[in-house]
Amino acid sequence: MANRTSDTIPPTASPPPPAPLPTADAPKRHSVGLALKKVDTNPPKAPNLAAEPVEGEEPVTLTIDGEQVTVRKGTNVLEAAKLLGEDICHFCYHRGLSIAASCRQCLVEIDKMGKLQPSCQVEVRPDMVVQTKSPAVLKARQEMLEFTLKNHPIDCPICDKAGECKLQRHYMDHDHSLTRVDVPKIRKPKHKDIGREIVLDAERCILCSRCIRFCEEIPGTSELTMTFRGDHETLDIADGHRLDNAYSINTVDVCPVGALTAKDFRFAIRTWELQATDTTCPGCATGCAVELHTKHEQAYRLVPREDPAVNGHWMCDEGRYTYKELEPSHRVQYAEIEGHQVPLFDAVALTAQRLQGKKVAFVFASTATTEANQALAELCELVGGERFILGRPIADGDDILRDPDKNPNSRGAKLAAGDVSKHEAELALELAGRAYEAVVFLDDEGELSDVVLQGLSGLTSICFADRRTKLADACRIVLPAASWAEILGTYINRNGLLRVTRPAWRPEGDRKHRADLIGDILRQLGRDNVATARERTRLLAEAHGHQELLTMLAEPKKMRPTLLRWANTRG
Amino acid sequence: MTIGVKKVSLTRTTRDQIFLPAILEGLLTTARHFFKNTLTPGMGDIDTIRYGEPEVDVKDYYPDRFRGVHRLMYREDGSVRCVACMCCSTVCPARCIYIHAEDRRDDQEKAPASFVIDELKCVVCGFCVEACPCDAIRMDTKEHMVPTETREEAVLGKIDLMKRGGPSVAVQGGAAPNYREVAPKRDPRFEHDPQ
Ligand code: SF4
Ligand code: SF4
Ligand code: SF4
Ligand code: SF4
Ligand code: FES
Repeated sequence: MANRTSDTIPPTASPPPPAPLPTADAPKRHSVGLALKKVDTNPPKAPNLAAEPVEGEEPVTLTIDGEQVTVRKGTNVLEAAKLLGEDICHFCYHRGLSIAASCRQCLVEIDKMGKLQPSCQVEVRPDMVVQTKSPAVLKARQEMLEFTLKNHPIDCPICDKAGECKLQRHYMDHDHSLTRVDVPKIRKPKHKDIGREIVLDAERCILCSRCIRFCEEIPGTSELTMTFRGDHETLDIADGHRLDNAYSINTVDVCPVGALTAKDFRFAIRTWELQATDTTCPGCATGCAVELHTKHEQAYRLVPREDPAVNGHWMCDEGRYTYKELEPSHRVQYAEIEGHQVPLFDAVALTAQRLQGKKVAFVFASTATTEANQALAELCELVGGERFILGRPIADGDDILRDPDKNPNSRGAKLAAGDVSKHEAELALELAGRAYEAVVFLDDEGELSDVVLQGLSGLTSICFADRRTKLADACRIVLPAASWAEILGTYINRNGLLRVTRPAWRPEGDRKHRADLIGDILRQLGRDNVATARERTRLLAEAHGHQELLTMLAEPKKMRPTLLRWANTRG
Repeated sequence: MTIGVKKVSLTRTTRDQIFLPAILEGLLTTARHFFKNTLTPGMGDIDTIRYGEPEVDVKDYYPDRFRGVHRLMYREDGSVRCVACMCCSTVCPARCIYIHAEDRRDDQEKAPASFVIDELKCVVCGFCVEACPCDAIRMDTKEHMVPTETREEAVLGKIDLMKRGGPSVAVQGGAAPNYREVAPKRDPRFEHDPQ
């Protein structure tokens, strides 16, 4: 316990070359006296350039389907066509991976080039004239698809990718014809367990090599390879290896078909029943952009979302499991006093009463949002008391994405709490020494030993809990807080960037944003003009110049989850 | 095993939009049947079924497309044909089919761990049968849902549904565990000569 003291909340724990925060005006309001450092961690760089022209570089103008388009130099025809809203059908090309041009699904006609060209591989040149919908292209597309489908089992009913499968979609869009095959299909291993997280169905694989390139280029572990040749070519794990790297589930996302499936999500639900919410992974200080897939207030998986500034196209396997803490049966729905369910108002009133004129310890949480931490700081100022910061303990990290600091908002908590050097060990000691009459925990997370938890019984312990944890069970007053999947809130990640979590569903029961609960307490204590969580978010968004969040606040409809059925294919 | 999609165009004429001609037509049909079946000696089309008499089986009188209580079919090896694809539960307008999938750990891969139909909610539309890609669910039992004393009795699980079931040998979804080794049949609808 003791030697963890200095590690728990580490804005300085990860190797940090000090540098100014990226948003110049962001930290003005808080920065006084704070030793905030920019950790220079860059996401894996995508090898392919996006087509939007950038300033200071000479753009290229070309014609696609009779329309002029101006794009960045060095990009490819496929990306350029995307700018015009023309999604050229493709399998093996992925913006975050190198180009293999092996599937030949993206063929287009280019003037002065004799044969059809793979648009993913051809770099744009000035005055190029490209046809993406000419009869020759459409015919080639259809024939390539037929070729791909020749040995494909088409077991969509049992395939986990059905509903978001590129092959299904392209077939419906471009081929749509009856089968001409009347020989048995080649059999390959089905449901082969190739790693900790992954099951391979080699029959469904269309040999695009995306997963192989992913393992080579991002984690650099190269576990996957092709074996045999021709019709019998099969994806497999390299001899003596298993697909066990820390980023392995990304191969499921890049796979355009259902060949690679994640054990965790396998057969859990059909994809078309899911709603997708753009949010942030709360698993570590990196704050990867993710989509949370939910149905009926239950979360089913997290998948990465593209964010070039933070995570590129990827996320780690550990982070995927953070949704498990949203388990419905563990939620705290109503306020509790001494284990008895009470109306929220009573619990808030009692909390306010118990805090007045007492010696209080305020425990900030680096797992909670910045808004909540700010609200607690306000309460702390009003009531007066000692400040602590609590979070998850430090663990493994690497220099791709995973940060050793497993708290999403260490910087935000630190900014709100001020210069706090007291963490778990001090809290444990001082609680054991009966230094306080009341203690307020902002989050239910924290590595408190059993001795401390028992020590809580003698004093007024208050916890803002979204689920049942040991800490929440040990506290006298439990206030029902909304979890990260139910609120609009912000984290500040290791690079000082504002990361946004969005609500995937309405909080059930009496659950509320932690900042709003604290607002209620402040109001009980006679303070008026208390900022709501939304207002705090707006202030933070303005301070960081976060345009997307500002538009979202102005137009809350933009926050609504999208039904995955309408969200096109993934992979 | 490719999918054929028939696109039906729905054009509405002015006549359809006025409604009245269609209503009158309908009334006319009813009236015609009324007079035919009451005035003609021998009572026209009406067939009186002596319901309940021992030698009479009402099922003989039901058309083949009659939609009765659901049943689940099984494969040659006796396992349920359903692969828990959720097509039926997705298309069901009454939302009365509840399926939980499980991993079979063989080449058929997926099967329903539980398959429940709430016959009280069911509107007997037959969409589930149409949607099923594996010929797993059928409504050809020609049985009515008998009234039950409690609601629970009308909620049928996998076992109840399979009791009524029979073997089916449709290829998709698995005639046998090794159906993939059977050469697919060339689709007879395919007219275009590859050459
Ligand atoms: S990969 Fe796509 S086309 Fe192939 S079985 Fe799965 S859903 Fe169907
Ligand atoms: S498993 Fe998927 S990603 Fe990998 S080669 Fe096959 S189709 Fe491509
Ligand atoms: S018959 Fe219609 S309502 Fe009944 S279970 Fe099937 S789809 Fe649902
Ligand atoms: S549609 Fe058929 S195979 Fe799919 S879940 Fe329903 S009964 Fe099972
Ligand atoms: S996407 Fe261009 S060849 Fe595969």
